[in-house]
Amino acid sequence: MKRLIAAGTLLALTLASIVLAQSPGQATLRLAAGDRPLTYFQQGPVIFVSAEEVVLGLGGTLTPDSSGYKVTLNNVVAAFGSDSRYGVVREDLIEMPVVPVIVDGKPFVPWQFFQGLLARSGDLDAAWDATAKALVIRPRQLNTLSAQVTLANVQGISKVVVTLSAASEYTILREPGFYTVRFKAALRPAVAEQAFEDPFVAKATISGTDVRLQLTAADVVADAYQLDAPFRVILDLRKAGDSAQVVPGLRAPTQAVEQPGVHTIVIDPGHGGKDVGATGPNGLMEKEATLQLCRRLATVVAAKTGARVVLTREDDSQVSLDQRTSIANQYKADLFISVHLNAAPSKGASGSETYFLSVEASDELAKRAADTENGSAVMSAVPADDLKLILWDLAQQEYLQESSRFAQAIQEEMNTATGVGNRGVKQAPFKVLVGATMPAALVEVGFISNPDEETKIRTEEFQTLVVDAITRAVVRYKNEYETRLGIAQPLAPAPLAPAVKPAAAAATTATVPAPARTGTK
Amino acid sequence: MRARAIVLIAISLIAAGCRKKTVPPSAVDLQNKVTVRSIQLFYESPALTLVGEQRAVSLPENPAAALPLILRELLKGPATAATPRLLPADVTIRGAYLLPEGTAIVDLGGATLVAGWATGSHQELMAIDSIVQTATVNVPEIKRVRILVNGTPAETLGGHVSLARSISPRPASLVVSNR
Repeated sequence: MKRLIAAGTLLALTLASIVLAQSPGQATLRLAAGDRPLTYFQQGPVIFVSAEEVVLGLGGTLTPDSSGYKVTLNNVVAAFGSDSRYGVVREDLIEMPVVPVIVDGKPFVPWQFFQGLLARSGDLDAAWDATAKALVIRPRQLNTLSAQVTLANVQGISKVVVTLSAASEYTILREPGFYTVRFKAALRPAVAEQAFEDPFVAKATISGTDVRLQLTAADVVADAYQLDAPFRVILDLRKAGDSAQVVPGLRAPTQAVEQPGVHTIVIDPGHGGKDVGATGPNGLMEKEATLQLCRRLATVVAAKTGARVVLTREDDSQVSLDQRTSIANQYKADLFISVHLNAAPSKGASGSETYFLSVEASDELAKRAADTENGSAVMSAVPADDLKLILWDLAQQEYLQESSRFAQAIQEEMNTATGVGNRGVKQAPFKVLVGATMPAALVEVGFISNPDEETKIRTEEFQTLVVDAITRAVVRYKNEYETRLGIAQPLAPAPLAPAVKPAAAAATTATVPAPARTGTK
Repeated sequence: MRARAIVLIAISLIAAGCRKKTVPPSAVDLQNKVTVRSIQLFYESPALTLVGEQRAVSLPENPAAALPLILRELLKGPATAATPRLLPADVTIRGAYLLPEGTAIVDLGGATLVAGWATGSHQELMAIDSIVQTATVNVPEIKRVRILVNGTPAETLGGHVSLARSISPRPASLVVSNR
């Protein structure tokens, strides 16, 4: 009984602490039309505001639905729930520091929800004034351009992307320890100062007309170029004299010789480390088989093409999907091939298939970005992560036609040589292909989930067939590409079969800016 | 000490009594009006394409309320043992939002996805397609689906297919006739 009383008291204390912690106080909703009372409470550093009061103050509506609450504001509909710290608006996510909570039947959200929502639904900004205990809603300054700095995740080269809400003339200044991008237009920073844990960039500061990058060393140099839709200035920063930085575990690239053609090929054995990939019914792990295949492939491709061949992993290490692509970019590879083994719930599934990237989703983003530049939306309608993604998507989009040719060559050779079923050339949004700045394909050699194919894949004979088939595809593609460049003669009388037309490529290539990689390698 | 505990209990009970969720009657009516409807749930056919399975299910008329129930029905698996299950058995639908612009947000949960689903690209693509196809065919307002895992954006479900963007239904050639 005593134990029961103690447990009850503990429960009561816990409940009381939750209630007291969420005891609402009175703040102010500061609008252009005047101040309104706003119920709020604070938990640690997080300020929760009454969603209903803010939405009504902004002239919107808040309605509960099956999985949370729906906010309608300026014909834009957003939603949030108490089970996720991500609200949704259109296709975007609004990140909140913690999940919304329901107090006395009313939803309270971290104020950042409204900052994210307003950035996507009109020309207002939201900010929390801690001193005045006020959520301040104010118009964006229209005579300035919103500016945002992101550091794209490309290993070895720090890709700084400065994105503005509209185009502006600029000059790039080099001072000791700094690069400064000086625009003609005044800038309105999304974040005035950002610190980075990056080998080359310590800090980015936006002030007045300048975006100032504080460098980590005196010998950091940058290549700069501009992209449109949305307007961006990109600085690729690296150490002077390096064509790329060394990736741990890989040989240092030698100084790149800038010649046209296929000179560097990156081969990616799928999975690795804790990520075993699929496992066959008799225990063969995909990560082991792909490594074994790719080691042999690297040797044979290097011998047959004379190209420098780099593996994204040479042992059972875990390499992230982004890092695999980054290695290819870092080595300025001319071809990227990711090797996998397939799996299906049906044991009878069999055959090989080759993929290149589909970019359907990025078309929508690219269009939105273009709309942004045309003034139909504010720049901040495209969140920072999306901007990075657009840049990465565009990187591979530029090579889709070549990627489709390469994929076609692989699939044809696999089909001819290995005797496994031909499942064709396909497109899908494979993460490992996004962001590759060269023709890139992913081959599924066969189904490890099929006992017969699993047995085949274990054999040296079959592995040799696969290695030879992919090598022939690389040689064919290299020769065909270099013939088109006018630096090689066709190897065989029969040219490559017509490439699979990449879905949506025709609609989007027109918006792709001139390549950063000029083909002068 | 005893008096303090009583006060705290009283506070918590009063507070609990105040926590009454207010829902507009119209929304309640709409969400609660349930009818039995025939829906199509998409699984993998022997030809490794998607095939629709007809199933009669009691559903609210409100599409936003129906969506999570339709997807939970999908996760119950195919009616026949001969048709394979595409997603791991422990996958759950944590929530599903429907936005007017045609995007559905589907929030998946389950230990396998959180730990990292070890599968091939075919099964991963088909699993995603089965969700997208089931959502778009049964809720015409949905044009595309954005998938989250445990309420947060995930890189992939099984190491291959990017979930960074919403996914549209696959070409009709990959979906065979209903049965």
